Amino acid sequence: MNVIQFGDAACGKVRGYLDSYLGNELLVETNHEVLRHLESCPQCAAELNTRARVRTGLQAAVRGTPVPDGLEARVQRVVRAQSRRTRAGLYTMAVAAMVIIGLAIVSLTRAKPGPEEAILSKASGRLALVLNVGLRDHLHCAVFRKYDKAAVQLSPEIAELARLVKARLPGDFRIIQGHHCTAAGRQYVHLIVTRGDKLLSLLLTRKRSGESLSGGVYQEGVDRFQVMGFESHDYLVYVISDLDAQQNLQLATNIAPAVREYLAAHAG
Amino acid sequence: MLFSKPPQTDEFEKAALPHLKELYRVAARLLGDTTRAEDVVQETYLQAWKSFDRFAPGTNCRAWLFKILINTIHHYRRKWLNPRLVADSEETLEQTAAPTPPIPEHITEEEILRALDRLPADYRTAVLLADVEEFSYKEIAGMLNVPIGTVMSRLSRGRKMLREQLSELARSYGIGRGGEEGRSA
Repeated sequence: MNVIQFGDAACGKVRGYLDSYLGNELLVETNHEVLRHLESCPQCAAELNTRARVRTGLQAAVRGTPVPDGLEARVQRVVRAQSRRTRAGLYTMAVAAMVIIGLAIVSLTRAKPGPEEAILSKASGRLALVLNVGLRDHLHCAVFRKYDKAAVQLSPEIAELARLVKARLPGDFRIIQGHHCTAAGRQYVHLIVTRGDKLLSLLLTRKRSGESLSGGVYQEGVDRFQVMGFESHDYLVYVISDLDAQQNLQLATNIAPAVREYLAAHAG
Repeated sequence: MLFSKPPQTDEFEKAALPHLKELYRVAARLLGDTTRAEDVVQETYLQAWKSFDRFAPGTNCRAWLFKILINTIHHYRRKWLNPRLVADSEETLEQTAAPTPPIPEHITEEEILRALDRLPADYRTAVLLADVEEFSYKEIAGMLNVPIGTVMSRLSRGRKMLREQLSELARSYGIGRGGEEGRSA
């Protein structure tokens, strides 16, 4: 038989149960014990009332947070795109194998003239091939190309990406170029950013069969450049600069959500 | 795995999409950033879809999605954010026997959210899952991959801290000072 206690000890014990009581987490016997105490103790009943009020207020406050209109459609789009990719998986793997073999043959047989190729040849390791995709355009378009580094030139279709990226860059970084460009027969969306004499490229290019960073974020030092690469929405994304490794990674980390947002809206 | 049956998109959407709003709201509160919350929710659904073939129909899809969300947020924090250190030990279950100091009769939603946002991340997670999403202690333990005792400890401390934050608010209104009349917001 349960003995109902009164006084501070009983109140202390019951108050320890009040939140679990509100959440229906008590055993039946304990629940009864709490109920019987509450009937005879106005202080604990008031305490229960306060805790219930906080709980109800919290629920209303969190549930009142507005959800962005397009989020469900965006999620649906991403899931369906992934679904299509999965179904095409086997076919893609076969094509990927052929492309890798082809690329390997091409890379073994091609000549290596000029400073760009000399730098590219320094990259080594299993990821070099994919990271070089970005490094190639950075060298071709940002490093060795002569353009007016003082003038800001943005093509209209890049303006949105530039706006998103700019919002995440430290104030002393300046976007000086934004354009579509081509290197080695491949198309890129390219933002060029400077800080003093430092040069940074953000590059987006559609993934080709067999190219993969396995969903990871990789960074490698090649010559004086730091090449950071990751995948998003069927695109390879690169942040390449002559900053030090930590600075490059930090900047890339800042920029990445902007890129993902841009690709979520535009990758198709 | 290479030859496993691909998940059915329609079936997945029917089971999972109705929970999107709850997932987003919890993610927004845990990350404190609505843009990142959108990314995390998208990633959660992508991960859920990829493992949908392992989801048993008829079991709790909502709890399953929240578990993936919590894992995704942990991953996201490690990858993109500076993880916030929660210094408190979780070894002992704190008693919540002390009566709650006065809390204003009318608290705005904004004030409650501000108080919630001040809780350490682990406590905030437990409080959101238990008191807003109304998951059981056992379900929360499964989502967070911690013993039930740890869930109870986090909840106990989190709720207590939340009440204390709201009491601070009461003090700032003059409630509980020698019987003065408090301001109702």
